[in-house]
Amino acid sequence: MDILTHLVDGFAAIFTPVVILAMVAGTVMGVLAGALPGLSATMGIAVLIPFTFGMEPLVALGLVAGIYNGAMYGGSIPAILLRIPGTPAGIATVFDGYPMTQQGRARLALRVSLYSSAFGSFVSALCLILLSPPLAALALKFGPSQFFWLAIFGMLCITSVLGGSLSKGLISTCAGLLMGLVGIDQITGAERYTFGSVHLVSGFSIIVVLTGLYAIPPALELAEKALRINSKDLNTGNRADDGFRMRSLLPVWLRSSVIGVIVGIMPGAGGNIAAVISWNEARRRAKEGDCYGKGDPKGVAAAECANNADTAATLIPALTLGVPGSAVAAVIMGVLLVHGLRPGPALFRDTAEITYGFMIAMGVTALMMIPIGALGSRLFINALRLPPLILAPGIIVLTSIGVYTVGNSIVEVWIMMIVGFVGYGMEKLEIPTAPAVLAIILGPMAESELRRSLLISGNDPTIFFTGVVNWIFILLIALMLALPLIRRRKARRAVTENQKVDT
Amino acid sequence: MTKTIFAGALAALAMSTGAVAAQDYPTRTINMVIAYSAGGGTDVAARTLVPFIEKYLPGDETIAVINKPGASGELGFAEIAKATPDGYTIGFINTPTSITIPIQREASFAFDQLKPIANVVFDAGSLVALPNNDFGDLAGLVEAAKAAPGTITYGTTGIGSDDHLSMLALQRAAGIELRHVPFGGSSEIRAALLGGHIALGSMNIGEVIDSVNEGELATFGQMGADRWDGAPEVPTFQEQGFDVVSGAYRGIGAPVGLDPAIIETLSTAIGEAVADEEFRAAAAEQALPLDYQNSDDFTATLTDLQGLYQALWDENPWVE
Repeated sequence: MDILTHLVDGFAAIFTPVVILAMVAGTVMGVLAGALPGLSATMGIAVLIPFTFGMEPLVALGLVAGIYNGAMYGGSIPAILLRIPGTPAGIATVFDGYPMTQQGRARLALRVSLYSSAFGSFVSALCLILLSPPLAALALKFGPSQFFWLAIFGMLCITSVLGGSLSKGLISTCAGLLMGLVGIDQITGAERYTFGSVHLVSGFSIIVVLTGLYAIPPALELAEKALRINSKDLNTGNRADDGFRMRSLLPVWLRSSVIGVIVGIMPGAGGNIAAVISWNEARRRAKEGDCYGKGDPKGVAAAECANNADTAATLIPALTLGVPGSAVAAVIMGVLLVHGLRPGPALFRDTAEITYGFMIAMGVTALMMIPIGALGSRLFINALRLPPLILAPGIIVLTSIGVYTVGNSIVEVWIMMIVGFVGYGMEKLEIPTAPAVLAIILGPMAESELRRSLLISGNDPTIFFTGVVNWIFILLIALMLALPLIRRRKARRAVTENQKVDT
Repeated sequence: MTKTIFAGALAALAMSTGAVAAQDYPTRTINMVIAYSAGGGTDVAARTLVPFIEKYLPGDETIAVINKPGASGELGFAEIAKATPDGYTIGFINTPTSITIPIQREASFAFDQLKPIANVVFDAGSLVALPNNDFGDLAGLVEAAKAAPGTITYGTTGIGSDDHLSMLALQRAAGIELRHVPFGGSSEIRAALLGGHIALGSMNIGEVIDSVNEGELATFGQMGADRWDGAPEVPTFQEQGFDVVSGAYRGIGAPVGLDPAIIETLSTAIGEAVADEEFRAAAAEQALPLDYQNSDDFTATLTDLQGLYQALWDENPWVE
């Protein structure tokens, strides 16, 4: 078995002192970043991207794996103690976590959150390892026409989960598409929108844009809000709850993991959605004696397990097809690109040791969270006392140095700053930034694959409508487009029926 | 007036110190500019080679690798071309881009601002297809292309890449017309070939030789003037009756105006580094076809190539 040998190689590659150290350090950093309100896994990795380029690929990816998993758990700490989710994905943890704190059971809530997070992350990593190789093999069958439909499907998925305002989502998407146009046209070699500047000839570096968009706005927000936390609020209570048995959470964990993994694989949705769905599902199945929303450990378990089960699963489409489903996946693709690793089937063949090593590291860091979370809980809680006015400028300086080192170019630092400020403005105006990032990646992909398909077929458009894979994508796209119409119709019918009842 | 005198004096001073400096060069860290991002083929090759150049250079000075990617290499080449010619800024000048960028567009450097110091790698072009293809050999392919002009597809790493220019040369030499499909990287060409979406892939022999030996791909030949040691079984295009010699040179250059003594020092050290057994073993592992040329030979090679590319461009510009 090919996959078995790759797995063995991957294990051998990550169990070296440096990689283990990187995984431990990453997990600690991740929990800290997650615990600090305003900072998230995306931001932690975005700041890190430029610095990873001097490292061995697996050291960098070990760090990334740790940060990603750790931050998902870290987000639950302020959610439980202060009713402030440390990351967006921690929102559902508040529902039961904070009531537990009010009852003096914060320590148990944190422990439940830790074990649930580790369980979810581990299941997610298993799915990544099991599902990615066959999917990557399938991707070999993909030609330009299939990739074209895939890119279109990916973009549609983003818009469907924008929520809020459609027009704001479209503004963001179009901004991303426009930025993706800059640079040398891959098909003809002509320069587009470079305005004669040599710095724009190769277009906007996705690494620079990602770093700017995800590292600068949180730092500015941190400085702006300068959240002061009263030390008295950081009380973990004194009820021991030693009688509580983690094993009783197993059914919740299994259900939540499945939900997290499925939501993770779908592009567009993120950990926060997984957590909310999972918490609702758990409550729907509530039995007598359960008290969801009023401090039930199972509620914390459902939310935290699901948002961690989302982590590795999000990477499945990113690693195998090169289509990131979320901002975090895009940022992790950035780390791969820094090391010249191009997502897609080649990742699983030419650099199998690194890819498998990374997937295994996602699982290993999931387990590492338990000792790290248990031993370091005081440290993580105290991190909430860090003054944001020191943290914020620190992040900006660090990010600038990092971006400079990648291309040794001050122009890129300026681009990063400008993108960062624009991103901050977008957040103020409640324009989501994720569609822009995905559009920068998927827009050029859709364009060049469309033109490549037509080159291959000699301008015969039937190339897009031949083969099973193409038709599967076309049907999926049609379904995505029809869904809102069907829903609106149903809603209208419901309204008219209600009116009938009224009269 | 005073300014020009002052500048003249400075220049004279610089020249005199330059002469002194050449004798005990190098006395500080040398910067090696790589016009590509970290982790790419040239970067890895450069970082493998650097410790060996350090070993053979007089003194204990180090060489710092500086990545300056962007604009297909233009940013990095311009950085080398515009540096002070004191021997402390050198860098990889890869073909065809270091020659073709100034031909294709108004660029921030000119080819004659670069002084070739030594060539390290020559990766000949190659043409591959699936092993069960209908063409058989190169002659069969040419025949098929003549029977159905403009329908057989070939993938390259983009307009103006060495893969593309070598295919332009082949089409000219054989009098055939093929259909060009540019891709973003050689792993994409490989995927499209294996998936049966394109008929031919134009890639360098060093990139495909492992797949050819494994039987995953079949090659129509290599485009070097002679067979590469790493692929002794693969015939050259010239042997098969098509006068196509094409590929990518990866060598080291510096800004023009560099002291000939320093050029000599560098060129010799690079020659010794390339001859080092340990380096040759590392290069073989990366499938790097080594081809050391000293400064004079490398300069002649690149000047010839410049004439060839200019002629190709004048006849049929590949970028509209």
